Amino acid sequence: MSSTDNPPMPEIQLEPGALRHLAEAQVNVELDTGDMILNLGPQHPATHGTLRLVVRLDGERVVSADPVIGYMHRGYEKLAEYRTYPQITTLVNRIDWLSSFANEVPFVDAAERLMCVEAPPRAQYIRTVLTELSRISTFYLFLGEMALQVGALTPAFYGFRDREYVLNLIEGATGGRFHPNFNRIGGLKDDLPWGWISETREVMKKMLDGCDEFEDLVAGNEIFQARTRSIGIVPGELGAAYGMSGSNLRASGVDWDLRRDGRPYLVYPELDFKVWTHPDGDSYARYWVRLQETRESCRMVLQLLDQMPSGPITAKVPRIIKVPAGEVWTEVENPLGQMGYYVVSKGATGPFRVKIRSASFSNVSIMPWLLRGVYVPDVITILASLYFILGDIDR
Amino acid sequence: MPDEPTEETAGEEEIAEPELLTDEQAALLAVFEAELGGGVIEHADAFGTLVVRIRPDSWRRSAEIAKTKLHCDYLSFVSGIDWQPMVAPRSNDDGGNDTSAPVQPTEMTFGTAGSAGRFQVFAHVQSTSRHHGVTLKTDVDADMPTAESWTSVYPGADWHERECAEMFGIGFSGHPNLRKLYLPAEFEGHPLRKDFALLAREVKPWPGLVDVEAMPGDDSPAEDGSG
Amino acid sequence: MGLVENGTLSKPAAKPLTWLLNYSRKYSLWMFQWGLACCAIEMAAALAGPRYDMMRLGVIPFPASPRQADLVVISGTVTDKMAPAIKRLYEQIPDPKYVISMGSCSNCGGPYWDSYSVTKGVDQIIPVDVYVPGCPPRPEALLQGIVMLQERIQNEGLGNDELAARWRGEVPGDVAMVSTPVALPSPKARASKVGAPDA
Repeated sequence: MSSTDNPPMPEIQLEPGALRHLAEAQVNVELDTGDMILNLGPQHPATHGTLRLVVRLDGERVVSADPVIGYMHRGYEKLAEYRTYPQITTLVNRIDWLSSFANEVPFVDAAERLMCVEAPPRAQYIRTVLTELSRISTFYLFLGEMALQVGALTPAFYGFRDREYVLNLIEGATGGRFHPNFNRIGGLKDDLPWGWISETREVMKKMLDGCDEFEDLVAGNEIFQARTRSIGIVPGELGAAYGMSGSNLRASGVDWDLRRDGRPYLVYPELDFKVWTHPDGDSYARYWVRLQETRESCRMVLQLLDQMPSGPITAKVPRIIKVPAGEVWTEVENPLGQMGYYVVSKGATGPFRVKIRSASFSNVSIMPWLLRGVYVPDVITILASLYFILGDIDR
Repeated sequence: MPDEPTEETAGEEEIAEPELLTDEQAALLAVFEAELGGGVIEHADAFGTLVVRIRPDSWRRSAEIAKTKLHCDYLSFVSGIDWQPMVAPRSNDDGGNDTSAPVQPTEMTFGTAGSAGRFQVFAHVQSTSRHHGVTLKTDVDADMPTAESWTSVYPGADWHERECAEMFGIGFSGHPNLRKLYLPAEFEGHPLRKDFALLAREVKPWPGLVDVEAMPGDDSPAEDGSG
Repeated sequence: MGLVENGTLSKPAAKPLTWLLNYSRKYSLWMFQWGLACCAIEMAAALAGPRYDMMRLGVIPFPASPRQADLVVISGTVTDKMAPAIKRLYEQIPDPKYVISMGSCSNCGGPYWDSYSVTKGVDQIIPVDVYVPGCPPRPEALLQGIVMLQERIQNEGLGNDELAARWRGEVPGDVAMVSTPVALPSPKARASKVGAPDA
């Protein structure tokens, strides 16, 4: 198909616009060919995990997309019925594996509310700090990874590099890089180690600098904007009806953050922070909102460190934890969106039923609607910008 | 006023006092009662969340009311629950019992706002603008478990109902495509039903609370046998 | 390379040549990224994180398809739904091929040992060379696993017939090799094989 093989183009005088008609006619002929089915996954680098997408294509355009999930379904809700409350903390860590600590908090909160126990203020502060740190580490991965998905390799290395500092902090306080299992019903396992607070201050400054770097390198990049702007627009109302939450919904202009608007939990009511929204609802808006939220989280951590009270870190709880009968619904703002547990207790050492409401499940359920009519490369952009964790979808 | 569920009163003294709805909850409930009339069977407060039990034939209508009249534009989840007591894991021939799983009560009791039978479908909807939420429940007939689908009201209910159908075997009338969501096609059974036993536990029960190995040097049969 | 398959290279006379072959193989392991669950993030940290930088060990993590890979790291929970895909991808890797099972889940089921949907260990479907314990293992632990595998590769065919067997696609009987590949039975069939009580 080299250009030398083609005969020279004859000189034909065409009226303006005729060429466009010709081009369209050719496209219409191509449309008659059958649809192609592109099977993305379950093992594909762009699906960061084991999501499978069955995409029907018409040329380069997606006719319909059918996400097939369940490749990471581990049956948390059933296993929770066979575990005691302290054991479940270990389990729920692994739902959204990037922000493990944030997963523990609502579950422990649910058990504490059922038992009418409240963690002491210092424990609440440390919980909030660690929740925000896991948010930062999650979003840092996103800030690098999203750029990787649209073709820029370098930011991914930056994300991984800077994320290690936050993981170090989490490890320093909890002993675990990934799955801290640090919460106890009524408080925490341990107090913070010496020097942790001053080190955290240093790291937060580094993280804020890193955000500026991402803003310059990625968010302000013309190619990145061309790839993400007006791609995958989610209207706010529809997103809410699909149960989309968190930064994804805020990027569609819905000003709703459970840290500010939900039932008060941890020490968020005492913090001064801004909830960022973006009116566009496209992939770029989702990136931008998460970038701002990373910054906001760093500022929140600095605030929390300044206000950190002293005192005990555990409330008085019985040695064998029995939770009184009752039902409770707790919801928190996780990095990926609304995370909730509906815990039904019958007075035993373990729950009778735990309904786990995870954010990514609903965030991804909009995909069949969202992917209709987009081009194939944009599928990857949209997948990356929705930012899901497979464990959080499949549970 | 409807009756308080029995096991709530048996619990802690904080829960034992008669339910007091906040003004916001009372206003939400009033809308449901005005719109559905007899469709509201029971209501209760579950730690600050209003729980309303709806008659099965008003289930879809309740979603419409929540969305249009109560500004609950956000669907949090739809799921099911099986109130039947859990089958106790079988003891094996060695006399070892599975002592690691928590012991649940053996009689069937129902949670907040009660239930007519074994299965229930419950859902939580919220308002992103007014920041309130309500949990809705409906009874599902155990012999022919079906509920009305919410997909026409909240498109996000699609996957939630597929999950519920797969996990509990509850059908949803009006759902466009009630396929399996998580499990492979050849999987049999509905895992979240209480009579679905976990095979791994049956085959090899967890030793339980006394799973501590004897210290070397201790006089135990295992040590004697090897030495 | 018929010399390898028929065992000529494993003869004592060819020892320097075998050593050289193994030496060059162990520092150019093309690793297929098989991100499954939590461990995948730690694996990515080991690959992409400048702190760990797995490439300095001669592991090249960018094959476009399993057909170009030598090594696969199963990083995360293997579910019964995913298992057939894993088996198929493993079969696509050309011989000789190596498997590292990373994390408790793929070693034995881990925290999901009693789950209805999780395969209790990836060694039920494919043979494993190195097990890396942890939930998830630190990136350093994965690096250690890689180093162990490299030692293993270095010793192949030096006084044993493992090299030839590997090249022929046979899995040599070895201590670290805890199981042989079997056709994946359905969950029900597998349960009956294990022996359900009162059956």
